[in-house]
Amino acid sequence: MKRSDGRTEPSQLRAFAASQSLLNRADGSAKFSFGESTVIASVVGPAEVKIRDEKMDEATVEVIVRPAVGFPSTKDKLLERALRQTVEPTILAGMMPRTLIQIVVQIVQEDGNMLSTAVNAISLAMLDAGLPMNSLAAAVSAIIDQEGNLLLDPNSKELENASSVHTFAFDNTTSYNLLLSHCIGTYSQEQYLDCLDACKHASERVHSFIRTAVEKRIEKEYQQLQSS
Amino acid sequence: MTSDLKVVLPGDLISVNNESDESSMNVDDDVPLVRLGPGLTQVQEDIVSMKAGVLKHQDPGNKWWLESNQRRYVAATGESVIGIVVARLAEYYRVDIGGAQAAILPVLAFEGATKKNKPNLVPGTLVYARISLANKDMEPELQCFNPSSGKADGYGELKGGFVIRCSLGLCRRLLNPETPILRFLGEHFPFETAVGMNGRIWVNSENPQYTILLANAVKNSEYLSEAQCKAMVESLIDKL
Repeated sequence: MKRSDGRTEPSQLRAFAASQSLLNRADGSAKFSFGESTVIASVVGPAEVKIRDEKMDEATVEVIVRPAVGFPSTKDKLLERALRQTVEPTILAGMMPRTLIQIVVQIVQEDGNMLSTAVNAISLAMLDAGLPMNSLAAAVSAIIDQEGNLLLDPNSKELENASSVHTFAFDNTTSYNLLLSHCIGTYSQEQYLDCLDACKHASERVHSFIRTAVEKRIEKEYQQLQSS
Repeated sequence: MTSDLKVVLPGDLISVNNESDESSMNVDDDVPLVRLGPGLTQVQEDIVSMKAGVLKHQDPGNKWWLESNQRRYVAATGESVIGIVVARLAEYYRVDIGGAQAAILPVLAFEGATKKNKPNLVPGTLVYARISLANKDMEPELQCFNPSSGKADGYGELKGGFVIRCSLGLCRRLLNPETPILRFLGEHFPFETAVGMNGRIWVNSENPQYTILLANAVKNSEYLSEAQCKAMVESLIDKL
């Protein structure tokens, strides 16, 4: 089977790419891409919070999505909500009461799969910011196309031919808890479980990619101490 | 050396008991005593990391902690920080230390300060202070004297010089007297620095040219190896 962007397997993901600390003024930032889909996430916090948003016992988490062109639309607001619900449980907000964690997601290039790309970018940015977290989220999307095939990590061309779109995020603990299940379209229970299973396996690859990216970065930071 | 860097991510389980020695055994029962430092926490029976960093272990006392780098400061008691006075109130100054909230510096928390004789700091003044109280639910409190001696010990207003911002990891490294960058710079000209644990470094020297060179050299040294630091310092000195 040949996919529109040259991939040969339905379970094949597009190439990942990531870089951390690319923004100067944010406390943490990261760029993550699945093939052409690219997102930059920045994290500011724990910072001062507006009295209106202040929570006495935990940090307020705010996610802002900025589209590549134009003003934020309803679609972006939905994305903000899904992202906040995914990453909020991974942050140990109780350790930073009466503060604000502001996460800004800038969409750089859109080629399907924005939700999962953004989740992974935010995870990397939060690691860079050094926020206390109990786990790490990684997300992967899948579609069921009109012919009933399951395709992982769809691009925008494949999304046009989708009968349902599924995005799942998992944490990196041993129990691999589900953090996000975002589905659009009509599908059977069997198809849902197939997608869940496929995304779970694929998210392990994303997790190990994130780990390698962080390890490389930290090793670079330590070279000065080691040579001396 | 690279192989003994153990990098952990949030959510990783840390096994702390496999290499515990006799000395760390608690006398009462056979459960080894473990001391957890920054970045680690206990979740039921397990030790879990909360940040991305390098796992460190010290055998005496069986201490475990994570060494991680970040840019946002979280106040901790006893640390020295560089703050900027933002407001002057009757009893205290409000000082920005780069954390989530501004810190409080009581006007009497200076060496020899009394109700009649207190320092006068205007908003915008730089102060080098010690965190006397840090709690996640309260504003941090500062003091400008060493509590064990009652003397200023270098704390207080910083006059002249220049402040640069950098990561907390770089600040921690600069406090190590063996840091290559400060040693190389010191071979060429005399200078003064005050390193705050909050990601601010104050540098001063006898002329502005040197101060600018210092600021640039320190800022750029973060990801350089010792040899690269030496080369950078030499090329900067040559351009003077």
